[in-house]
Amino acid sequence: MTENSNPTILLVDDEEMVLNSMKSFFAIENNYNLMTYTSPLKALEDLNRNHAHVDLVISDYLMPEMDGITFLAKVKEKLPMVPRILLTGYADKENAIKAINNVGLYQYIEKPWDNEDLKLVIRNGLEKTTLLHQLEEKVREVERAQRELSEVQKDILRVFA
Amino acid sequence: MSQLIQSEKMAALGLLVAGVAHEINTPMGAIHSNNDIMTRAVAKIRKLLGPAPDKEISRLLDILGEICRNNEIATDRIMKTVRSLKNFARLDEAERKTVNIHEGIESTLTLLQHQLRNRIRIVKQFGDIPEIECLPNQLNQVFMNVLVNAAQAIQDRGEIRVKTWTAGDAVKISISDTGIGIPTEHLSKIFDPGFTTKGVGLGTGLGLSLCYKIVQDHHGTIEVESSNQGTTFTITLPLEA
Ligand SMILES: Nc1ncnc2c1ncn2[C@@H]1O[C@H](COP(=O)(O)OP(=O)(O)OP(=O)(O)O)[C@@H](O)[C@H]1O
Ligand SMILES: [Mg+2]
Repeated sequence: MTENSNPTILLVDDEEMVLNSMKSFFAIENNYNLMTYTSPLKALEDLNRNHAHVDLVISDYLMPEMDGITFLAKVKEKLPMVPRILLTGYADKENAIKAINNVGLYQYIEKPWDNEDLKLVIRNGLEKTTLLHQLEEKVREVERAQRELSEVQKDILRVFA
Repeated sequence: MSQLIQSEKMAALGLLVAGVAHEINTPMGAIHSNNDIMTRAVAKIRKLLGPAPDKEISRLLDILGEICRNNEIATDRIMKTVRSLKNFARLDEAERKTVNIHEGIESTLTLLQHQLRNRIRIVKQFGDIPEIECLPNQLNQVFMNVLVNAAQAIQDRGEIRVKTWTAGDAVKISISDTGIGIPTEHLSKIFDPGFTTKGVGLGTGLGLSLCYKIVQDHHGTIEVESSNQGTTFTITLPLEA
């Protein structure tokens, strides 16, 4: 699905109309690749099978097969670094907020959602991943520099020994 | 009607509202978003057409744009009503909560909009009141009953004034109407269960007796003043119940 360098978002909602609307939105905005599923089980299956690159995951809360929090917890096991966003209706907001703290979700978006908010939450989520990657890279650099330094130190000690 | 039956009714209403709100929000979310996408698409097409577009295409885009704006107003209205319904029933808050009662009054007014629109002017004079510990959904019942009575007392056009203020260690809410008023001989009866002047099938006469009971449960009072110029109900709720 990734035919360009745009980030890929995996979206799960048992309601086709939600998937379609978000797909159209990102089609017109032209900035993300979308993988959409009406079944969280199928989404997990695909995640486990092929190592498709996913940058961010959004899931509905109330779905017949599996609730969104359980789904996102399973996604976390597989992709710990990927930001996970929950979509909630009014009726399940309180449960959702509780679960957000337990499972460590990045954000939640309430239905009916605002496209501009959606865009912002996604952008911030992706930015967080980028920053985390940059941090990892920096840590690796520092470690490398430290190793080199200790090599030099050894060399010096050898010369003076 | 016993208080028990009333609270069972509220619980059932709460469940119904939760179900309806959830059921509406998904398709509503899709329509709301789709309309936003259409608006964006129209803007993009306009940009692609450049500064001198074909007249007919331009006219059609204008119509589309107008429809999108209209849809937005319509969806906003539905979303606001669903929010108010949810807020009114406050199912998530069956127990005591510390809330600002302005929220409940606003929700109740939104739900009453169709009864009031064009006919009755609403004047809100909200004071700086602290949050109070209460049963929000029950207090909303009180506001609803008193406001409906006020609207029914106004025959043609008129005004309902909702005032809130702090008095000592209590919050006060007054709801005044410019309606027909209550005859002096009725004043001592209006809080009696079953007392109604609205005729069979129109009023149950239970509204105010329920209000009385709810306010009493909150250790507050509900008082009435009336003349042929209109009626004022004043509800006093202590900060510390
Ligand atoms: N704002 C008001 N102006 C004039 N009369 C009022 C007002 N509020 C209440 N009343 C009188 O008090 C009576 C009792 O009110 P209550 O709310 O208990 O019952 P109801 O409105 O008649 O019936 P229901 O509440 O079931 O529709 C009313 O029938 C009406 O005569
Ligand atoms: Mg009444």
